[in-house]
Amino acid sequence: MAQDRAIRTELEGTVVIDEGLAVEVAPRKEPATPAEWVRENLFSSWFSTVLTVVLAAVIGYVGFGLIRWVFVAAEWQVFKANLRVYMIGRFPLEEAWRVWASVYLVSILAGLSWGVSRARLAWTRRKTALRAVLGALFLAALTYLIEGVTVWILLLGVAVACAAGFAAGRRTGRGALRWLAVAWLLAFPAVILLLRAFGGVPPQLWGGFMLNVILAVVAIFVSFPIGVLLALGRRSNLPVISAFCVGFIELVRGVPLFTLIILGFNILPLLLPPGMQLAVIVRMMIVFTLFSSAYVAEIVRGGLQGVHQGQYEAARAVGLSTTRMMGLIILPQALRNTIPAMISHFISLFKDTSLLTALAILEMLRAARRAAGQLQHLGSTKEALLAAAVIFWIVAFSMSRWSQRLERRLGVGER
Amino acid sequence: MAETATARKARPPLLRDVRFLRVLGQAAFVVALVLVLREIFLNLQFGLERQGLDLEFEFLRQRAGFGIKEGISYNPNQSYIRAIQVGIVNTIRAAGVGIVLASVLGLVMGVARLSPNWLVRKLAQVYVEIFRNTPLAVQIFFWYFGVVLLLPAIEGGVSLWDVGFISNRGAAIPWPRSREGAGTWLLFLLAGILAAWVVRRWRTRVSDRTGRPHHRFLWAAGTFLAFGVFGYVVAGTPIGVDIPEATGRGYEGGFELSPEFAALLIGLVVYTGAFIAEIIRGSILAVEKGQKEAAEALGMAPRQQLRFVVLPQAMRIAIPPLNSQYLNLTKNSSLAVLIAYPDLLFVSRTIANQAGRATQVLLIAMGTYLTLSLIISFFMNLINRAVTRKGARR
Repeated sequence: MAQDRAIRTELEGTVVIDEGLAVEVAPRKEPATPAEWVRENLFSSWFSTVLTVVLAAVIGYVGFGLIRWVFVAAEWQVFKANLRVYMIGRFPLEEAWRVWASVYLVSILAGLSWGVSRARLAWTRRKTALRAVLGALFLAALTYLIEGVTVWILLLGVAVACAAGFAAGRRTGRGALRWLAVAWLLAFPAVILLLRAFGGVPPQLWGGFMLNVILAVVAIFVSFPIGVLLALGRRSNLPVISAFCVGFIELVRGVPLFTLIILGFNILPLLLPPGMQLAVIVRMMIVFTLFSSAYVAEIVRGGLQGVHQGQYEAARAVGLSTTRMMGLIILPQALRNTIPAMISHFISLFKDTSLLTALAILEMLRAARRAAGQLQHLGSTKEALLAAAVIFWIVAFSMSRWSQRLERRLGVGER
Repeated sequence: MAETATARKARPPLLRDVRFLRVLGQAAFVVALVLVLREIFLNLQFGLERQGLDLEFEFLRQRAGFGIKEGISYNPNQSYIRAIQVGIVNTIRAAGVGIVLASVLGLVMGVARLSPNWLVRKLAQVYVEIFRNTPLAVQIFFWYFGVVLLLPAIEGGVSLWDVGFISNRGAAIPWPRSREGAGTWLLFLLAGILAAWVVRRWRTRVSDRTGRPHHRFLWAAGTFLAFGVFGYVVAGTPIGVDIPEATGRGYEGGFELSPEFAALLIGLVVYTGAFIAEIIRGSILAVEKGQKEAAEALGMAPRQQLRFVVLPQAMRIAIPPLNSQYLNLTKNSSLAVLIAYPDLLFVSRTIANQAGRATQVLLIAMGTYLTLSLIISFFMNLINRAVTRKGARR
C-alpha cells in the first residue's frame, strides 16, 4: 500500500524548480474527501473510467455468482463429513490426544514468542473492520463444520493456551528470546516423540494437513544445517569440496521435485543395505530434506554474498580462525538477511508436499480427492478441492504476510 | 603473501602444514565419497538382481505396446525410445506454450498491480495472492476435475459458429493447413523478413541523417506484408483452413486441445503468471525514480514513460528471476503425471511400471530435464547479455 501511494504521488506530483536549480517533487496532498479519492483512483482519465465501469460490471456479475454458489449451491457436506481425514488422515481416533497435545505445545510457544517479541498489531479502523469480518467468517465456518462439543472445548483451550502464553511472554524480559529459540528447537523433536513414542502411531498412519506440516517442518529443520554446509562448501577454496557441493546443488535444482519423489519411492529402497527398510513417509522426508537443502544452500549463499568484504578482513585482522570467523562474524549476519527468503522457501516446500498425492500417501490433497470420490459425495469435486485449497492458502498467505512484517522489522537490505 | 615466504624458510612438520592438510582432507573426502557411492551401487545391483533386473539400456529397443493419447505420430508397435521422444516433445510443448503465455499474463498483471486505477490494482493483487499461495497440484486438479471435465459432453458442447468446439473432450479450433506451394510461399516470407530488416536499417540511417521521424516499424511491416501477399498470389493460395468436425467420440481436423493439456496449461500459466507479475512489479519499482522523473520532465505521457523508459530498464532487472520462473515452469510441467497428460515423466512412469526398469527410465528423465534447464538458462543468459550490453553502450 505504501508503495502504491508513493508511485501515485510521483505520477501526479508537480515539478518545482527553485533558484538553487534543485529539482524537487512536491508531495501531493492526500485526497481529503471520499469524492476526491474516487475521482483520483477510479475516474482519473477516460481510459481509467472505461476500465472501472467494465471491471465493476464483471466483478459484480462474477462476484454475485460466486457468493451465491458458496452460500447456496455448493455442497460443503463433502468437507464437513471428512474433516478429520483432511486434518489427520488415518490417524487412529483413540490416539488423537497426541495431535491435540502437540497443537497445545506449539500454540503455547507461539503465544509466548508473540508476547516476548512485543509485536503489536496495528489497529487502524480499516484493519480492525477487516479483521472483524474475517474473524466472523472463520467462526461461522467453524460453527458449520464442527459439531462435537469436545472439539469446541479443545479448540477454545488452544485459544486460551495461546493467550496465556502471550500474557506470560509480556511479563518476561526480552532476554527470554534465547530460551524461546531453544524451546522451539526442542519442540520439534518433542512433537515427533509425542506422536510416535510410547505406543504411539507409526508414520504410515500419519496423514492429512498434519502430515503436510510435519513434512515441510522436518525438511526445513534438517535441511538447514546441511544447506549451510553446502553453501560454505560451495564457496570453499578447496576444489574437490566446492565441485561436490556445486554438483549436488545444481543437480537437485535442475530436476523436478517429482522425479526425486519417484526416485525416493521406487529406487531408494534398492540403494539401502539389504534388509534395511524405511517407511514411505520416512523416505519422503529424506527426499524433501535433500531437495530443500540444495535450495537452502542457494539462499544462504545469497546471504553470504551480502556480507561486506570488510567483515571478513576485520575478523582476520583480530586473528580469528576460519571456523570462528564464520561462526561468530559472518554467518550470524548472513543468516539474518536470509530469513524472509527462508520463509518463502518454507511456504513453497509446504505447498510442494501436496505432490505426494501421486504416491497414495493420504496427505491433505489426497484426502480431498478421496472425499470427492465417495459415493454419497459424487459431484462435489470442486467443493472438496476448494476446501483443501483454502487451508493451504490460509497457511501460505499468513506466513507470507508474517515474512513481510519481519522483513520490515529486521530492516533487511537497509544496511 | 609474506606467509608463504616464511613458510618456505622454516617448513612446519608435515602434519601441521596447512597445504598438506588441505590435500589430505580432500583426498579423504574423495575416498569416503567413492566408498559410499560404491556401497550404494552394490546395493542397487544386488537389489536389482534379486528382482531379476539389470542396468542395461537395451530394453529401450523393445516394442512399447502402450498407447499415447496425443503428440507426434506414434503407435504402440514402436519402441520405448519413440515413446520417450513423444513424451519429450509433449513436455516441450507444454513448457514452451506455458512460458510464452505466462510471460504475457505476468506482464499484464504486473503492470496492472501498479495501475493508477484502484480497481485494476486490487484485482491484480487478489489474483496474485490467490494463485501464488495455493499449491500448483491443487490448482491443476481443480482445473481438470472441477472445470474442464465438467464442461458439457460432446453432443451438447459449446459450438463457436460451427467452426470451433469446446466440450469435456477438449477444444478444437480451425487451423491452417499447408497445401501445394507452401514451400514457395515460405521462401517468399523469408525473403520478406530479410527485406524488412534492410528497410528498417535504411530508415534508421535516413532518420539519423535528416533527423526526421523514421517510422521504421511501419516501413518494415509494410515491406514484409507486401512480400507475403505477393508470394501468396504467386504460389497460388498455399494455405488452406482445416475446420474441425465433431465426431461421436472426439474431434477430427483443426487444432485440438485435449482436456489434459488444457488443464495443465491453464494451471501452469495462471500459477507462474502470478509469480512473474510480482517480479515485473518489483522490477518496475526498482527502476530508479529519477528515470521516471526525467521522462516526465521531457514531457512524455505516462504510457510513453512506461514503454520507453521504465519497462526497458525493468526488464534488465527482471531477467534473472524470470529465468528461474521459466525453469520452475518447465520442471512443474511434470505435474502432468497427476492428470495423465503424456509428458516425459508420465511416459517414463508408464515404461517403468511396464518394463520394471525404473532406474534407467528415471535417469533418462532426469537427464532430459537437466538438459532442458540448461538450454533455457543458456538462452536467458544470451538475452541477459544482450540487454546489459545495450545498457552499457548508452
